Amino acid sequence: MATLAPGVKTGPYHAVLDHIHPAPTSFIRKYIFSIDHKIIGIQYMITAGLFFIIAGLMAELIRTQLLSPKGAIVSAATFNAIYSMHGTTMVWFVVIPLLTGAFGNFVMPLQIGARDVAFPWLNLVSYWIFPVAGVLLFSSFLIGAPDAGWTEYPPISVMGPPGTSMWCVAVFLIGISSTLTGINFTVTILKMRAPGMTFTRMPLFVWAQFATSPMLLIATTALNGALGALFLQREFHIPFYDPAHGGSPVLWQHMFWFYSHPAVYIMILPAFGFISEILPTFARKPVFGYKMIAFSTVMIALLSFAVWAHHMFTSGMVPWLQLPFMIITMVIAIPTGIKIFSWMATLWGGSIRWTTAMLFATGFLITFSFGGLTGFFLAAVPADYHEHGTYFVVAHLHYVLFGGSMMGLFAALYYWFPKMCGRMMNEKLGLWHFWLVFIGFNGTFIPLHWLGLLGMPRRVAIYDPQYQFWNVVATSFSYLMTFAILLMFINLLWSLRSGKKAGPNPWGARTLEWMISSPAPYYNFKKIPAVLAAPYDFGNPLPYIGLDAAPGAEEATPTHVSHPVPTY
Amino acid sequence: MPFREDQLAQRIVKPKTNLGPGFWPVTALIVVVSAIMVYLVETSPLPIGLVQAGAPADSVDALFRFLGAVAAVIFNIVTIYTIYFGIVFAAPKNAPPNAIGVQIHDAPVLEFWWTAIPTILVIVLSIYSVKIWADLQNTAGDVLTLEAIGYQFGFQFRYPKLANPTTELHLPIGTPTTIHVTSRDVIHGFWLPEFRIKVDMVPGLVNTVRITPTRLGTYRVVCSEFCGVLHGAMAGKVVVENQQDFAKWFAQQGGAQAAGGNGGVSAIPLASGTVAAGQTLFGQKCSACHSVGPFDQKQVGPGLGHIFSDPAHPKLVDGADPTPQNAAKIIHDGYQGDIGTMPSAQVNGLSNADIANLVAYLVSLSKK
Repeated sequence: MATLAPGVKTGPYHAVLDHIHPAPTSFIRKYIFSIDHKIIGIQYMITAGLFFIIAGLMAELIRTQLLSPKGAIVSAATFNAIYSMHGTTMVWFVVIPLLTGAFGNFVMPLQIGARDVAFPWLNLVSYWIFPVAGVLLFSSFLIGAPDAGWTEYPPISVMGPPGTSMWCVAVFLIGISSTLTGINFTVTILKMRAPGMTFTRMPLFVWAQFATSPMLLIATTALNGALGALFLQREFHIPFYDPAHGGSPVLWQHMFWFYSHPAVYIMILPAFGFISEILPTFARKPVFGYKMIAFSTVMIALLSFAVWAHHMFTSGMVPWLQLPFMIITMVIAIPTGIKIFSWMATLWGGSIRWTTAMLFATGFLITFSFGGLTGFFLAAVPADYHEHGTYFVVAHLHYVLFGGSMMGLFAALYYWFPKMCGRMMNEKLGLWHFWLVFIGFNGTFIPLHWLGLLGMPRRVAIYDPQYQFWNVVATSFSYLMTFAILLMFINLLWSLRSGKKAGPNPWGARTLEWMISSPAPYYNFKKIPAVLAAPYDFGNPLPYIGLDAAPGAEEATPTHVSHPVPTY
Repeated sequence: MPFREDQLAQRIVKPKTNLGPGFWPVTALIVVVSAIMVYLVETSPLPIGLVQAGAPADSVDALFRFLGAVAAVIFNIVTIYTIYFGIVFAAPKNAPPNAIGVQIHDAPVLEFWWTAIPTILVIVLSIYSVKIWADLQNTAGDVLTLEAIGYQFGFQFRYPKLANPTTELHLPIGTPTTIHVTSRDVIHGFWLPEFRIKVDMVPGLVNTVRITPTRLGTYRVVCSEFCGVLHGAMAGKVVVENQQDFAKWFAQQGGAQAAGGNGGVSAIPLASGTVAAGQTLFGQKCSACHSVGPFDQKQVGPGLGHIFSDPAHPKLVDGADPTPQNAAKIIHDGYQGDIGTMPSAQVNGLSNADIANLVAYLVSLSKK
């Protein structure tokens, strides 16, 4: 205990922390049914990566179909199934699992100086629900895939193909997985931070996960309630959403968006966390306005529960009720603006290294801001009367989900890949990846804003010929984007085998995960370090005590009591 | 610019005087570019490039101009400063690996302003949006009131005094029009892009849009909610014409009525209704919302057991005398008022013969 800083509270748990379990030796316990948060994180990443490829190819089918106003390649029915599955997969099987499942699992426990999450076995269950749900979702293609969009509004979804029921079950399962992860992460962050890591010393990515996890827990319940009701109506004719029998189709919309609007922030807050880690690391200066960024993260999380009906301005509700939803939606721009300006100020006066991760983080600033600003157009009720249900919405949501979440994820991949695999990714290919994605993405989605404003509704397999030109432009750029993402996968595979060996801290970063070897050892930290300050003071000595193997730590006795996850 | 870690002790951070080379010229560039963009947006007659066929397009376009101007300014600030900082503060190639940036944690004054200014902006935007929203809600008068009904995959329009639904929406120019919309099957969207207005057509629910056509021509009605395989092909026509043309068209539609001879409340063959058929029909079509108890035994709508002989309610819900003809009229036209909304016979899928049977059944209930 001599390694603890003066003034850091110690407790009985510290004795327990000296015990380190031996790593599992069997292949199955090590790589398949692992309870190691790092392996689970990488499992999430690989699984979600496969779904990303499938959903990305679906996106290309969608764009290719829209080359012609009559539909270029597939029938309208097939097209409807494809775009519905594209949305479902991207939201529930790619973006959320990558943000919380992959990077949350891999990075967060390392950043708080823990040996694992609070409930490693629960974590294993969370993960293994995910591929099962995925297989269930995609096997719905065998019996008729859902075709009413990822939102599956009744009554059309009640009449939809048999696969719609499987969709309900698959998304229900992934909801349970999310809820379990929410519990797990909340407890982990509350109880397992290293001694001395007060709330104002937590890295900002941990703050982002801390705000996201309760949202997963609370919001997902509403979704699962709605899904259960839809399943019951489809299979047992209980008329929850049937107006002829006292139900209401609008009920689904309320329940669905009560989940799905917080989910929008579940899909962006962790990406905000990535940016808050990556910008200071490569600008070599403290993140600007640490407390305001953390505070605005929590504000966004809270406000996100009070804005859901802005997806329903045209659905039919008491007219005056639109106004509070509009105003609260606009208020979210204030904490978001604080973040954007703070990140810009982080760039100011830096000594910036333009690595691929940094490029993506900066690209995120620009594309996400654009998406945030078009959000204003949708929040203003009278303007939304025109834009709702059109390609303007499609463009906006891709600006925040691709230009925001995915750009953040690309940045995070280049940033944390060395910690995951012990090798660096190829920076030259990374540069190509960034610039082609940036150009391809903007070229694809900027025209869609105009198409929407000019009168093209979303979710159409055939459309008015007057819109063909901009559709062809968008599709051409989308091929460029696909090529760029192909480059990323090539880079990933190449780097895995022949990337330059990364030391423990290739970027000169200061958060705890960079204080241990790459790839991170099974037990993460031989000694749980003590934390003296927030991690962003470049130029100052590292604010950690007890990082190096303390005397005696190497002889820590392997025991077989349970996984080494003492909480305090 | 970069400091080295070992120089940390000697360095003095003066953020105010040290903004970086070219900061003010870049700021001037942002001002100029933003001013040009705001000018272009604000003076553009059609900010989104789509013609205005009538109110509320003008108000909504004004909001688009305002939003566009605000968004352009903010986007310029974020993008241009970000790129500028990225270039100016890039570490030189020969920077030592331990080079660091200016160690500044926050600047409360700056943070206050970049919280306060967006807050003011949000307040202004909210007020402006609420004002335009109020204009839309309070459009004066509804000289013409009609119904639009969505179905897979098309639109129908029902005019008062016109027995049969029409497939085209004809509107006399300059006439404030209220359109009540609903759907027969799944949710559809009722979008009039050239009027900048849209509302969902939800089964079991009546939503309302108010427009005033001001420009002659033919425009589109577009379905904006996914409604099935042919969603992309579901479109209708709005024809804005002068009063004479409208009257002519209206007469033609009325002519169809005379030829078909099966429409209108007056054409309902009340005498031919049978109680037994009415009872069966009531169970299928009405009992979800109405009981056969007294008025106060409400489900969604009032109980219908004593409507013709209820001393507590000497009038029907629309204020008419409780006669079979007036009851038939409510079933035929539907009802919208203080106590709720009932879809029309058209939406409920009731023929005139069905209405006659239902009325016969209701009369028999009141006699008991």
